[in-house]
Amino acid sequence: MTPVSVTPQAVLDRSDELRRGLDGSFRDSMVASLYQRAGELAGRSVREQGAGKWDFDQRIDRILTSRWLGLPVMLLLLGAVFWVTILGANVPSQMLANGFFAVEAAAAGWFESMGAPWWLTGLVWHGIFRGLAWVVSVMLPPMAIFFPVFTILEDLGYLPRVAFNLDWLFRKAGAHGKQALTMAMGFGCNAAGVTSTRIIDSPRERLLAILTNNFVPCNGRFPTLIMLAVIFVAAAVPPAAAAFAAAAAVVAVVLLGVCFTLGVSWALSRSLLSGEASAFTLEMPPYRRPSILRILYTSLIDRTIFVLGRAMLTAAPAGALIWILANVQAGGTTLADRSISLLEPLGTAIGLDGVILLAYVIAIPANEIVVPTMLMCYLGGAMMMDITTYEQIREVLVGQHGWTMLTAVNLMLFSLLHNPCATTILTIWKETRSARWTALGALMPLGLAFLVCLATAQAVRLLPL
Amino acid sequence: MNALSIGVAAALLVVILAAPKFGLLARWKRHRAYRAKSRSEDALKHILAWQHRSKLASLESLAGTMGLRPAAVLRVVAGLQTAGWVESGAGGIALTASGERRALEVVRAHRLWERHLSDDANMPMGKLHPAAERAEHSLSRQQVAELDAHLGHPQHDPHGDPIPRPDGTISALNAVSLNEWPAGRPALIAHLEDEPQAVFRQILLANLRPMQVVRVAESGPNHLAVEIDGRQHRIERSTAANIHVREIRPQDALPTERTRLSDLVQGACGEVAGLSPDCQGLSRRRLLDLGLTPGTRVEVALDNTFGDPRAFRVRGTTVALRRQQAEQVLIRPFPSSDGAETAP
Repeated sequence: MTPVSVTPQAVLDRSDELRRGLDGSFRDSMVASLYQRAGELAGRSVREQGAGKWDFDQRIDRILTSRWLGLPVMLLLLGAVFWVTILGANVPSQMLANGFFAVEAAAAGWFESMGAPWWLTGLVWHGIFRGLAWVVSVMLPPMAIFFPVFTILEDLGYLPRVAFNLDWLFRKAGAHGKQALTMAMGFGCNAAGVTSTRIIDSPRERLLAILTNNFVPCNGRFPTLIMLAVIFVAAAVPPAAAAFAAAAAVVAVVLLGVCFTLGVSWALSRSLLSGEASAFTLEMPPYRRPSILRILYTSLIDRTIFVLGRAMLTAAPAGALIWILANVQAGGTTLADRSISLLEPLGTAIGLDGVILLAYVIAIPANEIVVPTMLMCYLGGAMMMDITTYEQIREVLVGQHGWTMLTAVNLMLFSLLHNPCATTILTIWKETRSARWTALGALMPLGLAFLVCLATAQAVRLLPL
Repeated sequence: MNALSIGVAAALLVVILAAPKFGLLARWKRHRAYRAKSRSEDALKHILAWQHRSKLASLESLAGTMGLRPAAVLRVVAGLQTAGWVESGAGGIALTASGERRALEVVRAHRLWERHLSDDANMPMGKLHPAAERAEHSLSRQQVAELDAHLGHPQHDPHGDPIPRPDGTISALNAVSLNEWPAGRPALIAHLEDEPQAVFRQILLANLRPMQVVRVAESGPNHLAVEIDGRQHRIERSTAANIHVREIRPQDALPTERTRLSDLVQGACGEVAGLSPDCQGLSRRRLLDLGLTPGTRVEVALDNTFGDPRAFRVRGTTVALRRQQAEQVLIRPFPSSDGAETAP
């Protein structure tokens, strides 16, 4: 062996030279040879037993993605998920609320008998504990039902079929079909939805998905929607159909959210984020039998406990804040009353009221606490032991605070469209690393929510309805 | 109090004007520097283009192409001379060796950027040139090298122009204009000239793309009738001068007897013949990675409500493709009797 002196530069030059001699198709040949080799290996070691599984899958797919049945089946499945959630969550919610408020009364009584100062009892039990109690009782039951049921659909492999069914609409809006998948993640949590947009390669389409993810109501907003659907929609129909009507109302709100997603994507595609739809390839996995244990684990531990934990973390300080606002006086009126009367004109103009807007300001860290905050403000210092059923909430809202159908509809719209929660805003910043896109992601929905609510409120007031 | 507020206002004004990075002065200086750089680079490109046509550029030709007043052109050329990039002679302005190197660097940045916009961002052919005209001046050498590696060292831009190599060499375009090609003999489109824009738009309207097979069916005094993919288009001779074609070589490996995956009906199957040559970069890689390599059996599996996208059965998996992607896959269809048992 004779040593040959080769410098690194010579190697590079030689490879450069050789590369020029290649025609453009060498990459094709590389992939083709890889696939051929893989095919040989698979042919030698894998034995196929008929095409039964694939035939079965395809028969299901022909129905789920068919020309006429694809979209109706999708809506039915979505409706069924909400129906089960609404039907199942009612009683446990009530039981939890009863239990917590009994604890609150007993503990507050015990504090008083121990001679604790009134403000300590108030802050700890009527503020922090009450906030936590509302959040847990309003959120835990719907989540503990919604997440597992939704995870079953996910585990079956149904979600890629949804993306497949809806891709045409997204293409028309200049967006990516996989945006449907990120929206499905958004049902759970918008922050998770924003993170999941990483599956979209094209930066333009990924930004569209990030900026519009907020139009999917996340789990933190479902309790608001479900409560309104039960109180206002279900109450207007015979009891037998109540749960169906409520589920239909929630589906309608979700569909409206999809319309806004497509509309805003379309508008952005033709203005700030102009460009062409990029390539779309989506693998549709075979259907799998869901594994129950894993579903329970991912949906209850990873999702329910995580989301609930986050909600409780913000609910505790929010509860304390509400109690302070309601009990600290300046110039004869409480701080809560002052801020409510400050927000009242704006609230009335868009068909809501000052309390609702205050609740949304306090709930910026987490949407989950909107309903609890509203109820705590409305009820003031009153004991809440009696307010545990939807009937009683309806009595408070309609009977004592003048809510109308317009208030309910606009609150649903506002809840659907308004700015994302602080966590989601932070996630948008983390994903885009741009203050401008983050600001747009936060302010565009807020502006849209005000505009839409203003329009409906004015329309209802002007039209002789 | 009054003096204080005036002082504060004056200090604020100074900061707005003279802040090192964001001040108006700094911005104005940056803008001037960028304008000077882009003007001199555009001038270099113009002189290079004329040299390739064996002509010498002049002050008038520069003023015409760049849309500048003669005084401004003079300033630009003086700057280029000081840098040692051009020499003015009796016949006109010529590039020095280092000037030619610099001009090729700008051309390289331009063509790589076009390749990037076409492959990675799927930008339509007609919009590439203006976008690259802007980007070419702000890409650093380092960025160009990274872009080149990211794109896999492409040799041609999306129009078929050769991309200059980092060492300042460029391969010649071995092609003739369509006007000079004999009628009846199939040819491969090697290059489409993208300037002037109006002519280029005509070319795109006739659905001509690089690496397509074209045949001149009829040759008139002012126009040509050309056949592409079985369809005839009428092209002015002045337009045809901007289309360059070459002989079809065996290694071009163009599939024959083919249809497109998007044209297969539900339940039909076929064998992949290859991917369309104008599908490059990320989208080509993705189709290949899905297993759509030549010889693979493909079957149409699912339509959906809107008829787009559709899902195809490939190598034991089901893959959804939009019509635009399915059009890029060339197919040799199997006779329908073969697929009769799988069709419903």
